[in-house]
Amino acid sequence: MKVEWRTVLGASLFLGATALVYGAYKNHPVEASGVTMLAFGFFAYGLLFGYLLLVYLRRDRIPRPEDRFDATSADGEGEVGYFPNASIWPAAMGLGMIIGVVGFIYGLWFTIIGGVLFFGAVFGWMTEAEAATEVPLTEDEEDTATAAGHPGHIDAHPEHID
Amino acid sequence: MTLIQDRPEEHLVHEPVLMEIVPGPRPRGLVKYITSTDHKQIGLNYLVTSFIGFLFAGLLAEGIRTQLIVPNNHFVTESVYNQLFTMHGTIMLFVFLGPFAFAGLGNYLIPLMIGAPDMAFPRFNNLSYWLYLGGFLVMSCGFLTNNGAANFGWFGYAPLTEAIHSPGPGADMWIIGVALTGFSGIFTAVNIITTIFTLRAPGMVMFRMPVFVWNQLVTMFLLLLAFPVLTAAFALLWIDRHLDGHFYDPTHGGQPILWQNLFWFFGHPEVYILALPYFGIVTEVLATMSKKPVFGYKGMIGATLSIGALSMGVWAHHMYTTGAVLLPFFAALSLLIAVPTGIKFFNWIGTMWRGTITLNTAFLFCCGFLVMFLFGGITGIILAQPVLDFQLHNTYFIVAHFHYVMFGGSAFAGLGGIYYWYPKMTGRMMDERLGKLSFLVLLIGFNLCFFPQHDLGLRGMPRRIETYNAGMGWNFLNMISSIGAYIAGIGVLLTVINLFYSYRRGQIAGDNPWDGQTLEWACSSPPPDHNFEALPPIRSERPVWDANHPDQLTKVGH
Repeated sequence: MKVEWRTVLGASLFLGATALVYGAYKNHPVEASGVTMLAFGFFAYGLLFGYLLLVYLRRDRIPRPEDRFDATSADGEGEVGYFPNASIWPAAMGLGMIIGVVGFIYGLWFTIIGGVLFFGAVFGWMTEAEAATEVPLTEDEEDTATAAGHPGHIDAHPEHID
Repeated sequence: MTLIQDRPEEHLVHEPVLMEIVPGPRPRGLVKYITSTDHKQIGLNYLVTSFIGFLFAGLLAEGIRTQLIVPNNHFVTESVYNQLFTMHGTIMLFVFLGPFAFAGLGNYLIPLMIGAPDMAFPRFNNLSYWLYLGGFLVMSCGFLTNNGAANFGWFGYAPLTEAIHSPGPGADMWIIGVALTGFSGIFTAVNIITTIFTLRAPGMVMFRMPVFVWNQLVTMFLLLLAFPVLTAAFALLWIDRHLDGHFYDPTHGGQPILWQNLFWFFGHPEVYILALPYFGIVTEVLATMSKKPVFGYKGMIGATLSIGALSMGVWAHHMYTTGAVLLPFFAALSLLIAVPTGIKFFNWIGTMWRGTITLNTAFLFCCGFLVMFLFGGITGIILAQPVLDFQLHNTYFIVAHFHYVMFGGSAFAGLGGIYYWYPKMTGRMMDERLGKLSFLVLLIGFNLCFFPQHDLGLRGMPRRIETYNAGMGWNFLNMISSIGAYIAGIGVLLTVINLFYSYRRGQIAGDNPWDGQTLEWACSSPPPDHNFEALPPIRSERPVWDANHPDQLTKVGH
């Protein structure tokens, strides 16, 4: 995690410093917008840096397998993450959003259709994620899950995805 | 000091990576296209859609050049001409150049290159694609409305974009369309950053990732900062147009320059969003085709990071002539950005130096990139100086400059990337003879088209004029430029023919046709679902090379 948070910290500090220098020398009132945007960048990246640093400290600075120069495939054994199968909900949600915003041009009824589709898709997406955690396991997966200390189900939100 | 790391024998044995996936049948055909959460399928969707956008916008460009081929021409009306150049620019930038690289190639290649089974948020990834396609369709559908598509130029300067000057739904559709592609870009950025930060294979430390992945990472950080600003600018514009706002309306105390500030604060990082991934493509192609590791790997990454950082502070060099910007500040930062770009050039040449070079189409396109982009960069340095920019602002010199950067640079590298990764994506090689012919025709056509435009600019021809009088001394150069545009179009078509021809008739490629170095060449072509059965040990930035050439291990120093 070290390289990650340091990179983001660098970006944040660069934007902060640029904002200070630019703000000190700007000579036209409208240039305040540029200073604001640079400051926004400083805070936005700062937020991300703070999160990454927090994760790093919470892990007691122990490097993950992908941070270690000598790690082998064996170190990455176990769950990598939750990779859902094909799903219709993203397309439905996208269609809902597109119809919804086109409604800003062509009338409210368009937006209402889009909104219904959008929230329906949100609901479908959520229930799909719920259902996925209760998929019956094959025998091989049962073994892996038991070995990982979670007999009987696949962890949809493994903690080491941070 | 460099050391060859010791590699215990057992590390060379392929070990399985375990992962859990939700079981179920995999859909095919149209259902697969619509519902797939596989990063490779979504990447291909992006690549195909953006290439269609490229051809469409290219067609618009041929319309522009046909109108300008002779003085006092009436091929299209003035209004249609304005729509042509506006939509040409918008589609090329928002639909082709950006998404082709960061969403298309990025989606397809980043998980493969870092040894991940998929992107971090597969369904979110699918959603981004639909927003992107929706944006493309919405902005293009402007052509079908009564007043036509948006016609105020791709950077939509206020107050021309206000409702009173640009009435009709075409302009609104442009705003909505671009905003949708913007949201798609933001979602993709979140996805790619999370993937790179959390899903790397064991041993794939940040400083062993391919330069392509590093460039994508920096690009995504730029995008995360740039696109929200654009969306905010659009929100204000929407309020101006429909809700009686006056943010950009000078007659009511609004500030048109505010739009320029907001737009270019997005727009200049956007230019680097359109360039950095292509730098990555060139780096990978040159290294593989020279059979050498990237020369100055860490220097390359440092250069990418400094280009990314500096690009956030140069936006107002598009606005020198407004008189409302701090000239020395922006001129200094704009000139500074040439330094890391120059470092990249030295490293690319260093990568080729004494390499065993395979002179194939992908390599040729990347060499074309080097020359064209260098030329565009040099005219960029000319334009970064306020004294010269005041002379050249809004002339064809600018047009020539950014086409050398975006077309001669990025698009050439993108085509090189197609030739390079096509075998991985389809399992078949592209035809080399047709490819080399395409390169040659495109190179000649491109230079015939855009080189004369420098001189046109110096002779005072403003950009975006719909026609011109015969006595201006511009006739011959415009004729040459238009002919060049047609030749370049043929060059692109040859590649399109090649894409279709090779899909059926191409030679079977095998897993690693180029003797590649990075992880994507370790899996089959095309890669299976969730990518890797087994990974080679990752001990340097080119694990596949190390696995295939144990006698020539990459030297690592750290």
